[in-house]
Amino acid sequence: MKSVVPLAKARDDAIFGSKAVGLGQAARGGLPLPPGVALSGSIVEAVAGGEERAIRKVTRCVRPLGSPLAVRSSAVDEDGAEASFAGQHLTLLGVQSSEVVSEAVREIWWSANSDSAITYRQRSNLFVRPSVGVVVQALLDPEVAGVMFTQNPITGVDERVIEASWGLGEVVVAGRVIPDHFRVARSGEVLERTPGAKKVAVRTLPDGGTAEEQVAPELVERLCLDEGQLAELNRLADRCEEVYGPARDIEWAIAGGELYLLQCRAVTRAGSSR
Amino acid sequence: MPGIPVDVLRRVPLFADLSKREAQQIARLFKERRFAEGETVVREGSGGAAFFFIDSGEATVSVAGKPRTPLKPGDYFGEIALIDEGARTATITALSELVCYGLTYWDFRPLVQKNGAIGWKLLQSLAKNLRVAQQGE
Repeated sequence: MKSVVPLAKARDDAIFGSKAVGLGQAARGGLPLPPGVALSGSIVEAVAGGEERAIRKVTRCVRPLGSPLAVRSSAVDEDGAEASFAGQHLTLLGVQSSEVVSEAVREIWWSANSDSAITYRQRSNLFVRPSVGVVVQALLDPEVAGVMFTQNPITGVDERVIEASWGLGEVVVAGRVIPDHFRVARSGEVLERTPGAKKVAVRTLPDGGTAEEQVAPELVERLCLDEGQLAELNRLADRCEEVYGPARDIEWAIAGGELYLLQCRAVTRAGSSR
Repeated sequence: MPGIPVDVLRRVPLFADLSKREAQQIARLFKERRFAEGETVVREGSGGAAFFFIDSGEATVSVAGKPRTPLKPGDYFGEIALIDEGARTATITALSELVCYGLTYWDFRPLVQKNGAIGWKLLQSLAKNLRVAQQGE
């Protein structure tokens, strides 16, 4: 089925992939997502193959999201494969406009069909034809972003563990900074605030792409979340657990003063995988 | 129009004996793929997922660290991987922005499995190549 749907209508893993369906669940649960659409594996295949009609459809459906855009793979695969393929399948941040989304979609298709992906499949006994859905969302230009575990992933204690840094959360996920570290009780009481060393930040550029920049010296060790923002994150953790169940691994961002959920998945092991 | 021109495909010995119609079925399965300057296109020893034609740009080739003749537009590589999904025998790196057209193992296999005539011609072509290789030993 060559379809492009709003995230809230992405319901079937076999059509849109697990990431899109996870975000669809969030959208239906009223969680604060950046606006976005899900592309089925079939339309991704058609766009990668240069089918004009499919390219026009994707361009038209993506245009209302504005720019820049985040274009992410959403594996349509074997059970739970999204996590294990996280390193193989591509995410493209800062895609300039709807007009060039088809190029990003084609790159993502190839990332699922690359030599490294086939080698991984051979080694993992998953030697079947890959199919990949795509999620396209408005790319935020966050003041602060990071990750949050709704239960401590190391100790198992029932408390929120939050890691945060300036700009896009990629610096936290990729280990490019020592993020600020917070622990928050379910009651909202802040149990720990440990400043990190946030020397770099990745920003969204207005004309597309992202750029790494040095953080001003006075901000490197200044906490990037205040009391109110920690309380909001605690509420987001509550709502994510209501929608998805306990023990979640969340990526979030604060842009224009608003808190957004970027991704929510089950904690699979200490630190989880992305 | 998706895919690559049929006459381009038929320049490859493996596909040279296919009829125009048969070649068309394969040619339209090709998808464009771009590599940035300096990007590794394929790495020696890695599993091979696709067969590529170079449409524009140039690429360096090395085997066991030793340079070989660079690739240019019209050159191709990896066709045997379509059949045996075997390991790459060279490392190829884009020397400039490289635009290729690629056909994956997974797109190619179902077509051959459904079409015995194409399969038979490919088998003959492989046998011909094998004889040439044996005579060269």
